[in-house]
Amino acid sequence: MKHTFITKKSFWLNVIGVIIALVYLFPIYWMVITSFKTQSEIFQVPPTLFPKDFSLASYTGQLGAQLFGMVGNSFIIAFSAMVIVLLTAVPAAYALARYRMKLTGIIMLFFLVTQMLPATVVLAPLFISFEQLNVLNTYIAPILATTTLGIPFSVLILRPYFLSAPVALEEAALIDGASKFRAFFTIILPIVRPGIFVAGAISFLFAWGDLIFSLTFIRDQSLWPLTAGMYNAIGQYGVQYNFLMAFATISVIPVVVIFLSLQQHLVKGLTAGSVK
Amino acid sequence: MKRKLNPGYIYIFPAVLIMVLLIGYPLIYNISLSFKDVTLANLAGNDQPFVGFQNYIELFNHELFPVALKNTFLFTIGSIAFQFIIGFALALFFSMNFKLANFLRGLMMVSWLVPLTVTAMLFQFLLSPSVGLLNHIPIYFGWIEEPIAWLSLPEYAMWGIIITNIWIGVPFNMLLLATGLNNLPKDVYEAAAIDGATWIQRFRHITLPLLKPVIMIVMMLGFIYTFKVFDLVYVMTGGGPANSTQVLSTLSYQFSFQNFDFGLGASVANILFVILLIISIIYIKMTDEDEVAS
Repeated sequence: MKHTFITKKSFWLNVIGVIIALVYLFPIYWMVITSFKTQSEIFQVPPTLFPKDFSLASYTGQLGAQLFGMVGNSFIIAFSAMVIVLLTAVPAAYALARYRMKLTGIIMLFFLVTQMLPATVVLAPLFISFEQLNVLNTYIAPILATTTLGIPFSVLILRPYFLSAPVALEEAALIDGASKFRAFFTIILPIVRPGIFVAGAISFLFAWGDLIFSLTFIRDQSLWPLTAGMYNAIGQYGVQYNFLMAFATISVIPVVVIFLSLQQHLVKGLTAGSVK
Repeated sequence: MKRKLNPGYIYIFPAVLIMVLLIGYPLIYNISLSFKDVTLANLAGNDQPFVGFQNYIELFNHELFPVALKNTFLFTIGSIAFQFIIGFALALFFSMNFKLANFLRGLMMVSWLVPLTVTAMLFQFLLSPSVGLLNHIPIYFGWIEEPIAWLSLPEYAMWGIIITNIWIGVPFNMLLLATGLNNLPKDVYEAAAIDGATWIQRFRHITLPLLKPVIMIVMMLGFIYTFKVFDLVYVMTGGGPANSTQVLSTLSYQFSFQNFDFGLGASVANILFVILLIISIIYIKMTDEDEVAS
């Protein structure tokens, strides 16, 4: 008797849970289907839950070409930033977990504080410095600027992963004659790999989602990432929401791909990075 | 004998170097900038006159400064209050043991990962008086008679942005609170259940007090991440209508990059920085004590 009661209760909990999640994520669904509607269907009252005329107009023609050019720019910026973040944050987190250093506490504090700073505070000085270095209007400016979003975050979430990797294993490999690098790549890296995926994914998304750095540092529209193009499109297309939602839908694809491939690790890594 | 440098510093060096050059240096540069008169004309040159506290005096007498300060606090407190309450309710719901709980809770994190520009534009669409779903639905149910032009009326605009931000922040609150709930000792609840404590009594006298450290962390983190808002406001209203959504970050941006008064913009940025620094230090102190305690 008791058994059936429990399964019945948990059945309803599952149903309610699914309804909550569906309602919560409905705006995303609405965004995607709006991008496939025609202009007139968007203005229909009551609105349609699924496009009657499934239209690809927002993704093809001149707008489509513009859109996919921006995808390329976004990808270059986000991918480069991610590579720089991983190349610098992985060794830093490793050292902060493994070496006894006098400055460990201060360096951790430094990353914690820099992670909390808003981009607006450093925007004008960076603009002036980039102007003097002649890198305004190049990919370099937003790439460098967006690494500052990923580095502190990655160091902070990677350090616990390195702390949990057993030192003994690494030492055993060293005694067996493996070089320091080999020991790192064959022993440590596989253990911390989920952490590196999370750090890389989030750093990519931070740079992918950046608006203010790209908009401020890049004047040449052909170099704009999706976010900057989107901002501009709001003024340009006004209430042509199917076009605007096409921008939005394309921008969300990496989020969905990353989320689906990393789900458990992502949730675990994000909590570990925020509450120690 | 010469002391050898700890090799750990070599591994840390590149990451610290980037952060010092791109964050540390600009912070210091901002301080010097706020004491100078810098415009587009003398931006690249060395001819930037020192003006003392004049930028700060101008700022404190500027009509928009108190407006932006008030709006930033309204946005922050409005956002985190609702994010927290909804996030807590959902955390309690998803902490009941059912099969899909973890998956669904994770799925909702998507709203936190979506680029802010996308969310801003999406909610601009949802809140639109002519085609917005958030107007269609209440009208359909008869809750309101006329559509509300959320983002173009000064009395509603800030709430339009707050609604958007609540949607972004709820899953993060939920995730952190759920982790806290999972770590609570189960035996206390069992003892209370045996003693006949009701659900509400257990919540008030066990859950809330035990969860207090986590609640404080969630609130502080929420404050820090909400107070620095820029993208949402910039995309959704640009600070308007009639400066009703002007916040400190957009004001700084407007001074620097629309009026090209970089000195004045820097003074706003510095005030934003000082407020955030104070909160960050309190937060770090708090989490440190936690670590010692546990």
